[in-house]
Amino acid sequence: MPAFLALVVPHLQALADEPLYKVEGGNKVDKATLEGWRTWRALACERCHGPRQEGLVGPSLLESLRRLSKDEFKQTLMKGRPEKGMPNFDGSKMVTENLDGLYAYLKGRSDGAIQPGRLEELK
Amino acid sequence: MATKFAYTWSAVLGCALASGAFANDDVIKQTQNAKQWAMQAGNMSNQRYSGLKQITKDNVKNLRVAWTFSTGVLRGHEGGPLVIGDMLYIHSPFPNKVFAIGLEDQQIKWKYEPKQDPTVIPVMCCDTVNRGLAYAEGKIFLQQADTTLVALDAKTGKELWKVKNGDPKKGETNTNAPHIFKNKVITGISGGEFGVRGFVAAYDINTGKQVWKGYSTGPDNEMLIDPSKTMTWTDGKMAPVGQDSSLKTWQGDQWKIGGGTTWGWYSYDPKLNLMYYGSGNPSTWNPVQRPGDNKWSMTVWARDVDSGQVKWVYQMTPHDEWDFDGVNEMILADGVNVKGKPRNVLVHFDRNGFAYTLDRATGELLVAEKYDPAVNWATHVDMKTGRPQVVAKYSTQANGQDVNSKGVCPAALGSKDQQPAAYNPANKRFYVPTNHVCMDYEPFKVEYTAGQPYVGATLSMYPAPGSHGGMGNFIVWDAGTGKIVQSKAEKFSVWSGALVTAGGVACYGTLEGYVKCVDANDISKELYKFKTPSGIIGNLNTWEYKGKQYIGVLSGIGGWAGIGMAAGLEKDTDGLGAVGGYKELNKYTQLGGVLTVFALP
Repeated sequence: MPAFLALVVPHLQALADEPLYKVEGGNKVDKATLEGWRTWRALACERCHGPRQEGLVGPSLLESLRRLSKDEFKQTLMKGRPEKGMPNFDGSKMVTENLDGLYAYLKGRSDGAIQPGRLEELK
Repeated sequence: MATKFAYTWSAVLGCALASGAFANDDVIKQTQNAKQWAMQAGNMSNQRYSGLKQITKDNVKNLRVAWTFSTGVLRGHEGGPLVIGDMLYIHSPFPNKVFAIGLEDQQIKWKYEPKQDPTVIPVMCCDTVNRGLAYAEGKIFLQQADTTLVALDAKTGKELWKVKNGDPKKGETNTNAPHIFKNKVITGISGGEFGVRGFVAAYDINTGKQVWKGYSTGPDNEMLIDPSKTMTWTDGKMAPVGQDSSLKTWQGDQWKIGGGTTWGWYSYDPKLNLMYYGSGNPSTWNPVQRPGDNKWSMTVWARDVDSGQVKWVYQMTPHDEWDFDGVNEMILADGVNVKGKPRNVLVHFDRNGFAYTLDRATGELLVAEKYDPAVNWATHVDMKTGRPQVVAKYSTQANGQDVNSKGVCPAALGSKDQQPAAYNPANKRFYVPTNHVCMDYEPFKVEYTAGQPYVGATLSMYPAPGSHGGMGNFIVWDAGTGKIVQSKAEKFSVWSGALVTAGGVACYGTLEGYVKCVDANDISKELYKFKTPSGIIGNLNTWEYKGKQYIGVLSGIGGWAGIGMAAGLEKDTDGLGAVGGYKELNKYTQLGGVLTVFALP
């Protein structure tokens, strides 16, 4: 039992330390976050949330991402909020495959660490 | 259900007994009475002209608000009121309410609100607009956002029939007004940003039964194109389009998700029995992904109203690289002097910044000139091939994926979008509400999923550089020579349908919310200006009731101009910085749909 714990705890610790995204200079990000931005772009999220995520006919994601838990975020993406005009994206392969990256990207935008607009991969 | 059927059939029988004539006889008769406004464009020729002359250039300064009416709906209000007899019919954006208002006491005689699934809202590209109702033989026709086409009893608002025109789950929605030509309701489809395959469809006005459907892309028989009889401008003359004219211009099956949607204002020539309309952008907005001319997106179409057969086509922007939809209105005008000869023409102000004058019987290309001097993506249209001569540095195809092509004029919303122009038969000139906006355009690779956005480009838009700093102009155009006669600068895009009258005034609305009337013979003379409750993207219509001429317009900011474009302006753009267009618009106006009606005291 202790041996088991000894194995697991450091692992959890490592997970917690692992940053959600890596960013340099505001526009160079890790691969997963980059794919998250590409997903944001391909699904044309800016049509409702604005090109800088500042909100348009849809809410500001800079604000929402401060409030929503990761689970709530995923739930909203997958099931949508049809009564408010948010579509469900569970039918999109790109979204389902890049959900973590998309969360990381928007979190980074919300934190002010990632700049709006075009991103590049951090090598 | 049984009672509904019984009702429908008695209605059908009643109409058949009562008239026996074609509906367009009724509609034409209604539109010939200048006291009414019986079609969204005023008449079959899409002219937005009225023979009324109580309001003149001398007394227009005395206009007063006669009455107002709130639709109770936010977001963009396009289209305008219909007036038939002593009733006014007005619509709203989603949820597409319809109100019948008595002109005598401005009471709501009936109200209709369809039940629609709200999941249709996010599938609508550029706000939840609706461009208005149609009328024929005692019926009001509503084209709902969820593609349901419904006929209502004009007296009671009771449903007579409804039919489904498309599938929102595939991204198919409707924003266009239905058009009544002969005994048919003609409607189109929206969804070019969702990979919808565009079409127009004709339904029997009495039963809602589909009579024909013609696609914009694909096999000849599905487009109702006869390869040996359907003509197009080829090498300086008209020639048959030949076999598989669309299929040959797409890679593989891409035509199935190829766009070419049809949400504009159609016109009809009863003598030729031809209807005219334009098809929109090919999908996606990333040109690199869809090699070929992508026919027949971006095309002017002439179809026989009875059979749907295509008489002629003309593609304005082969292989679009900028989202220059070809859907804008087709205006029909007679006796326009082209190179010394009077011609019966079709005039079209395209999103791509060129105004086209075509012989509407044959489809011959007569004139193609820029109607905004800022237009730079092409030097000119080669009059022999009919093709625009694209400037390499503005070619988003040549620059490639993930490259930002900068300074392209016009922007994707065009030198003009759907906001319809007016034609004055007295001086044979066109009054055109325009945009004066340029853009940066960066295409990127995108995959198709049914019902999901299929855009594939990032855009940033800003006022035309090196000009007056505004984002719009109201212009007078000579379609015979292809020249701007006069141009009046506006701070924002003029996104409102114009009106011109026998009283010698031309009127339009602005995004700040002003109704403006100018001297039709000298538009620099602003004769009247009034601030309505919200920005105007609706069209100005006019009518007479009990000896008094009225002008009515919907305000209610929204649409692409009010939301999409304005938002793009918040983005910093090189050399221009934050123009602050959206914030600027915010200073003038907020959301909210109101009909404002004007008259002389």
